[in-house]
Amino acid sequence: MLNEDRIALMTKMAAYESGQGKRDISVSGFFRGDYISFQVLKSALCATVGFALVVAMYILYDLEGFLTDFYKMDVAAFVRDIAVKYAVVLVIYLLISYLVYAYRFSKAKKHMKKYLSELKQLEEMYDWE
Amino acid sequence: MTNLLVIKELIVGFFSRFEAYIVAVLKFILAMIALLLINADLGYMQKINNGAIVLIVSLLCSFLPMNLIVIIMAAFILLHVYALSLECAVIVAMIFVIMFVLYFRFSPKDACAVILTPICYMLKIPYVVPLTLGFVGTPMSCVSVACGTVTYFMLGYIKDNSDQLAKSGNDPEAALGSFKYIIDGLLGSDKMLLMVIAFAVVVVAVYMIKSLPLDHSWKIALGLGVVVNILVILIGCTALDVEMSVGGVFVGTIFSALIVFAIQFFVFNVDYSRTENVQFEDDEYYYYVKAIPKLSVEAKDVSIMRMSYRDDDYEDDDDGLDYI
Repeated sequence: MLNEDRIALMTKMAAYESGQGKRDISVSGFFRGDYISFQVLKSALCATVGFALVVAMYILYDLEGFLTDFYKMDVAAFVRDIAVKYAVVLVIYLLISYLVYAYRFSKAKKHMKKYLSELKQLEEMYDWE
Repeated sequence: MTNLLVIKELIVGFFSRFEAYIVAVLKFILAMIALLLINADLGYMQKINNGAIVLIVSLLCSFLPMNLIVIIMAAFILLHVYALSLECAVIVAMIFVIMFVLYFRFSPKDACAVILTPICYMLKIPYVVPLTLGFVGTPMSCVSVACGTVTYFMLGYIKDNSDQLAKSGNDPEAALGSFKYIIDGLLGSDKMLLMVIAFAVVVVAVYMIKSLPLDHSWKIALGLGVVVNILVILIGCTALDVEMSVGGVFVGTIFSALIVFAIQFFVFNVDYSRTENVQFEDDEYYYYVKAIPKLSVEAKDVSIMRMSYRDDDYEDDDDGLDYI
């Protein structure tokens, strides 16, 4: 026989699973450290691409001057200067990424806790029948 | 007030029932407006500056995810800029990639804001976007507003300097030196920097205030958002030596706040619970459920109105929902 309460609960849970729950479930499949490290690594890759483009734009900005001075310039000092700036950008970017993804992980865990309690409730409904 | 509540209830009911179609139509309208504005402002590539192409792409956009629509808009801009000047297209492409790297990492859900920001600028009400995102977004939504703002100022610069940019593309020797001119023009605008900072501050301020456990925190957040926006822009104008009409900032911000207030009434305070079509199974059955959200809160308000002068009618009326 159909149990209306159970169907309502199952519908609510199925709606969550097909929406926001999809992401929450995949996030909560990770340990906190693994999830944040993975996301921070992806951010590092993005930051590197972004920084490389900024450096390319910096060179293009005065391409004539750069090409003229290239043989006269201290390449080691230039590279060191770029590396220091890259390190600073990377640290700031990764710090922001860490905070954002730590927050998202805790939010997903909170949603999953509610989802699991509903799952337990559903199990109890079946047991009771 | 009751009429407004009834209208609100009608909108909720209509949206809940036809959500899939309404979203597709809204995406179509948004994509069409954005493409028409891009073509009107740039329009250098004749092949895509064509009503039929705009219509086809807009129709396609109505079925695509918002983030893909953002990429299509960026591609349209790039094609037009490429037709104008290759050097300019290279720089614009680089700026787009840098923006996407930031945007897709931190606020990929705010694609709508990226497209709406330049549109609102053209309608002279850009302050609507940061004020709204403070309510519906997160602090990271400032990245989306920044992307939209940079795009708007880039389009403006390319439009205003198209003759100069086209000339540099025809002369290979001048091309090397032209990068400096293009980058200075595209990114050297103090006004753009000021707007990016002001909007970021507004998004974060509104988000933080509306999250406080206070009565009427949303209204306080909107009021303070207006004050913060005006103050940051005025201080920034002085600090960065940017010329902006003070009256324009005041009127624009207050008008934007009124729009946000209206949006708040019709959108934010309403639970636009979706009509859910879900499938699941247990040991005995397969379930194919269509869940339609109940409309109940506003019925009480309407009942109060009827009681005040038509008691008889109220007694006959058992649920108050017949008129909806």
